[in-house]
Amino acid sequence: MRTIDTDVVVIGGGATGAGVVRDVAMRGYRAVLLERADLAQGTTGRYHGLLHSGGRYVVSDPRSATECAEENIILTRIHADAVETTGGLFVSTPGDDPEFPDRFLAGATASKVPAEEISVGQALRREPRLNPGIFRAIAVEDGSVDGWQMTWGTVNSAKAYGAQILPYHEVTGIERDGDQVRRVRAHDHKNGEDVTIDCTFVINCGGPWAGLIAGLAGCHDVEVVPGRGIMIAMNHRLVNTVVNRCIYPTDGDIIVPVHTVSIIGTTDVKASDADRLTIPADEVQEMLDSGEAMIPGFRQSRAVHAWAGARPLVKDTRVSATDTRHMSRGMSILDHHDRDGLKGLLTITGGKLTTYRLMAKNVVDEMCQQLGDTRPCRTAEEAVPKSESGKTYVVTHRLEDREADRMEEQIICECELMSRKMFLEEMRGRPSANLDDIRRVTRLGMGPCQGGFCSTRAAGLALHDGLIDVGRANGLLELFLKNRWIGLWPILYGAQVRQTALDQWIFSGTLDIEHLPEPEKAVL
Amino acid sequence: MSMDSRAVVVGAGMAGLVSAIRLRQAGMDVTLVTQGIGGIQLGQGTIDVLGYVPERVLGQPLAAVTAYGNAHPHHPYAILSADDVRAGVEFLRALLPDTFVGDLERNYLLPTAIGALRPTALPQVTMAEGECTPGKQMVFVGLRQLKDFWPELVAGNVARTELPGGGRVSTRAAWLDLPARANEVDSTPLYYARAMDDPAYRKRFVDALRRVVEPGETVGLPGVLGLADRGAFADITAQLGQPVFEISTIPPSVPGMRLNDALTRLAKDARVKVVLGSQVLCANIDGGRIRSLTVGTTGRPTEYAGEHFVFAPGGFESGGIELDSYMKVSEPTLGLPLWVPEGDLVVADHNAAQPLFSVGVRFDHDMRVLDTAGDTVHENLHVAGGILAGASRWQEKSGDGIALASAVRAADAILESVQNLEGARNA
Repeated sequence: MRTIDTDVVVIGGGATGAGVVRDVAMRGYRAVLLERADLAQGTTGRYHGLLHSGGRYVVSDPRSATECAEENIILTRIHADAVETTGGLFVSTPGDDPEFPDRFLAGATASKVPAEEISVGQALRREPRLNPGIFRAIAVEDGSVDGWQMTWGTVNSAKAYGAQILPYHEVTGIERDGDQVRRVRAHDHKNGEDVTIDCTFVINCGGPWAGLIAGLAGCHDVEVVPGRGIMIAMNHRLVNTVVNRCIYPTDGDIIVPVHTVSIIGTTDVKASDADRLTIPADEVQEMLDSGEAMIPGFRQSRAVHAWAGARPLVKDTRVSATDTRHMSRGMSILDHHDRDGLKGLLTITGGKLTTYRLMAKNVVDEMCQQLGDTRPCRTAEEAVPKSESGKTYVVTHRLEDREADRMEEQIICECELMSRKMFLEEMRGRPSANLDDIRRVTRLGMGPCQGGFCSTRAAGLALHDGLIDVGRANGLLELFLKNRWIGLWPILYGAQVRQTALDQWIFSGTLDIEHLPEPEKAVL
Repeated sequence: MSMDSRAVVVGAGMAGLVSAIRLRQAGMDVTLVTQGIGGIQLGQGTIDVLGYVPERVLGQPLAAVTAYGNAHPHHPYAILSADDVRAGVEFLRALLPDTFVGDLERNYLLPTAIGALRPTALPQVTMAEGECTPGKQMVFVGLRQLKDFWPELVAGNVARTELPGGGRVSTRAAWLDLPARANEVDSTPLYYARAMDDPAYRKRFVDALRRVVEPGETVGLPGVLGLADRGAFADITAQLGQPVFEISTIPPSVPGMRLNDALTRLAKDARVKVVLGSQVLCANIDGGRIRSLTVGTTGRPTEYAGEHFVFAPGGFESGGIELDSYMKVSEPTLGLPLWVPEGDLVVADHNAAQPLFSVGVRFDHDMRVLDTAGDTVHENLHVAGGILAGASRWQEKSGDGIALASAVRAADAILESVQNLEGARNA
């Protein structure tokens, strides 16, 4: 058993937890981040990639709109390498409420969200695939952001300030000494080892799982309801600008160009278990119909992958009045001293990816106040590692890189232009990683072939490099294909069926993968 | 414009090429229309008859065909008999002498490019030494510039596998650093195969190989041992003086390309008219018979008329069958009725044979398409290959047996009908 002594334990490795651990570390505290799976594997990695301009909330939630507009500018600066400044359009499609655009423009002015109406002709020139029947178009400063890259940038910054980042460490207990939090127990899944962390403060950033984590500290009835949303990635950039329907926010009204794909989202259905999210066929059809409304012919383009994420929706009856001062719309801080009589535990949940930094600031401000410290938040001032240049992401970056190293490097994943060197750097840095862990950082297997060509190369290369043994190579390959299939089978139609037939031909027909020797134990 | 041919074949995979050649050999005038190069080069270049039922079939694959057909009434082998499979395989073997080994009395068990042991009835000669027998010593050799063959993976898995009769193969992995082309670090199997066509390159290759191979070892290489030069394999083996075999990689598969090239050349040499890069747009039907196919050739559509048609466009992998975004299946070219299995077409278990891929057309023993009532759709339309309903070709390792048996049956049914007609006339 390992023992760690620290000041602050942050639980949850999504955007919020990463932001909190960075903030805490930058204020000079010793900090440890615990995440039960891989970083950004939960809600943070399962969204549509939108960096809000605030436009979406100018009518429904002006305060969130203002926060988004402010944070958009900050994130574009401190996470330049994860952000693409695509710009956004709010368009009225035939049948949409003709009054809404005027309310939108008024709301944008009031909430200080930059917005400018452009002519339909200008909008169609900018995005030729848009429905030619649109009758209003408003340009905003939406962008897209890679949630994994942003989270890794954030934790890498935290590490530079001395924080310890421990993915695949599941919290098993939060212990108290009288009315004060003293210790967190966790299980290291990759090494099968228990870890004890002595601390003076715990910040629960568990998102949809925050209620379960609070329960481990004996703070019950923190009810976080998972709001399930599905997203579908289409094979091409059908648009290069974020396209929103100019209506009161509803299902399937956003298309976001992210990397080489465009993502349509999303639905919002109450789920019972954030670990078992489905991708129902009727919701897939709903997304395709919505896509068709914005982009005629959407159904004929190729869907490559779908996923479901869980929004953390807080439904807490025991929040005392004093807590509301920390609450902005959509984000809630629970002070468990007030609520449950336990000092040294705060829960933060709700919110959205675009405002992750602000959420972190708010909760760490509260912690500092409780500890009687006056250490200012500096997270907006400094770019995370690899974003120092301020050069934002463009979709051709990989092409530029491969153009430079094509005489020296093999391309392991052609769809996403991932080189042998990129794969080995990641895998050598984390030899216990599975291929999905590597995928989230390198985009291995995320293109049209969905692992058909690259996954055996990745497993073979890791084995060849001595990072894993042959049993684990088989296990990693099997696990990767199993996980790819989760996001494939619900949207299997059109050209992706043809691809899948080829992939089955490769894996079953040619490689006979079903008859590999079994891995000695299940891999993680 | 109208071009009169007696038979029009659609599709240039195993089924299309073989039926076209068989019809042409019988003296018929044959046009083969194809949208692209067929699927043979996507496969592994062996002749699979039946490998899993789902247990592995080792002995008597033809007996397994009969038993499997009896047990699975919707499977192509319920209509196509073991004799049909034998006739199909023997026809191909006569077309391509000295290409395959095997006698249909048993399946070979050969390592794949990830080291699983895969059953097949007729491997290419270049693959035969890969047969795994107890105590055999194998070295698998990778090429640094080729990313689709990892000898540690093959060697590790083969060594971990207990052979069906007991015992194991002892294995080892080794590497060569020998570019296919100067300064190229990322080569496909095709580039290597072209390099191997050059005797000077082969000599350099064998010299390098000699430095990593131990006496007594059988040498397993990626499937790159020559494309155009059919003597490349024998030359490499003779120079090395040790048994050598090749293992097909993921596409493009060089052993598959060799097979495709050989059959395409036979078809052209036999004066089958091959119309490449042309999609069939529709069939022109008159009184239950197809009169002609309208084909989207360059410039303008062309009509190809005939008395007999063989339709072998493949399944979902080639676009021969489609599933649209409303989850409806269709055969988009001729609008043929499809057999669809009961239950969910796509299932969450990634290891399952997806029921979707068994969707296809039903047929009788003359390979005529049947509708849901069991009636013939078009008197003179015969089907073959991957479009046939009821098989899980990739899991069963049955695709080549089905393609060959159906192609030869389709051709023979056409020839029989012509003979019957002539017989009636003469009488």
